[in-house]
Amino acid sequence: MRPEEAKVVCECQYLGVAVEGLTPATNANVVGVGIGHKAVRGQATEDIALKFYVKQKLHPLLVKDGQRIPEEIEGVPTDVEEAGEFSIWRPIPPIYHRKVRPAMGGLSIGHYAISAGTFGCLVRSGQDQYILSNNHVLANEGRGVEGDPILQPGRFDGGKTDKDVLARLDTFVALDPEAPNVVDCAIAQPYNSADVTPDILNLGRLRGSRDADLEEKVTKSGRTTRVTNGTVADVSATLRVGYSTGSLIFQDQMVIRGQRGSFSAGGDSGSVIVSYDGRAVGLLFAGSPFFTVANKIANVEKALDVKVV
Amino acid sequence: MASVEEVKRRYEVRLMSTPGVVGVGIGRKDGKDCIRVYVEKEDPKVLASLPHALDDVPVEIVVSGAFKAL
Repeated sequence: MRPEEAKVVCECQYLGVAVEGLTPATNANVVGVGIGHKAVRGQATEDIALKFYVKQKLHPLLVKDGQRIPEEIEGVPTDVEEAGEFSIWRPIPPIYHRKVRPAMGGLSIGHYAISAGTFGCLVRSGQDQYILSNNHVLANEGRGVEGDPILQPGRFDGGKTDKDVLARLDTFVALDPEAPNVVDCAIAQPYNSADVTPDILNLGRLRGSRDADLEEKVTKSGRTTRVTNGTVADVSATLRVGYSTGSLIFQDQMVIRGQRGSFSAGGDSGSVIVSYDGRAVGLLFAGSPFFTVANKIANVEKALDVKVV
Repeated sequence: MASVEEVKRRYEVRLMSTPGVVGVGIGRKDGKDCIRVYVEKEDPKVLASLPHALDDVPVEIVVSGAFKAL
């Protein structure tokens, strides 16, 4: 019998699909049948087999009598593969994209009109605590106004203005299209101080801030590429950086080279660059296919008159 | 001798206005500080238009690609 015909028999006898002339039956462990290459010790072979997808692949001795899938059906060899249970549910999104309270560094965040960026860390100004990220994350490249809702998670990750507002836009440093810029930063004030914590997801708590050294190893935790490690390749770069409104010049930037592949990707903007001794050293805001660019944290603290918590 | 920072400052505007150049910085090459020039792509014309050294400070050319806000 051809594999296609044998498969119809299996559909009836294991999944309960009605076929004329056969008595339908089901097997509680079988979740699907198909046709594919037989795998032997995890390696696909040339042989075509009837594939049985099961919730759990058991040792032959543990299979109940009568439940065992025969070696061949209607002359076609069989192959059993564990597939778990098929479901219409999408996999649970990573925690970086989800709503988390108290919210912390590394998570998805954004002005209600942008896609999503990263919650950098908490900063302090006087008695008040603020969320630090980029202007282009919290203030929509300067198009936002004070009081605008800041969503966690960001809009791209399903954040909604009726239930996911974490903070209000407070202050941002304007981006200058004519003259060199030093920072792309903004702060937002949480509506409820209990909704935020000074931790950074998977990196723990910061121990203040300092300047980075050339060739120093650093890490970050961001919405898209999560925790990545890299090396500071430049601490006094002047660069042209593309924005939605055109290209801007940035001075006094640090450039980071990823240790294994890319250090960052779209959505990681706003991540704090952290030294191996737990100090904030930079604020990630841009990248090229090979490098990541961050503002120096001292310039950010000075421009916004804040201190890293 | 002028410091690498001074040399960078002196030539920065000129380098940044060279077509194909997207950044100028300071890096380390063979244990020595150097002027780093970031270029958008490996274009022989751009590479030929850049100096190997500026006021005795070596120049390292790095193909970075274009920088974009993330």
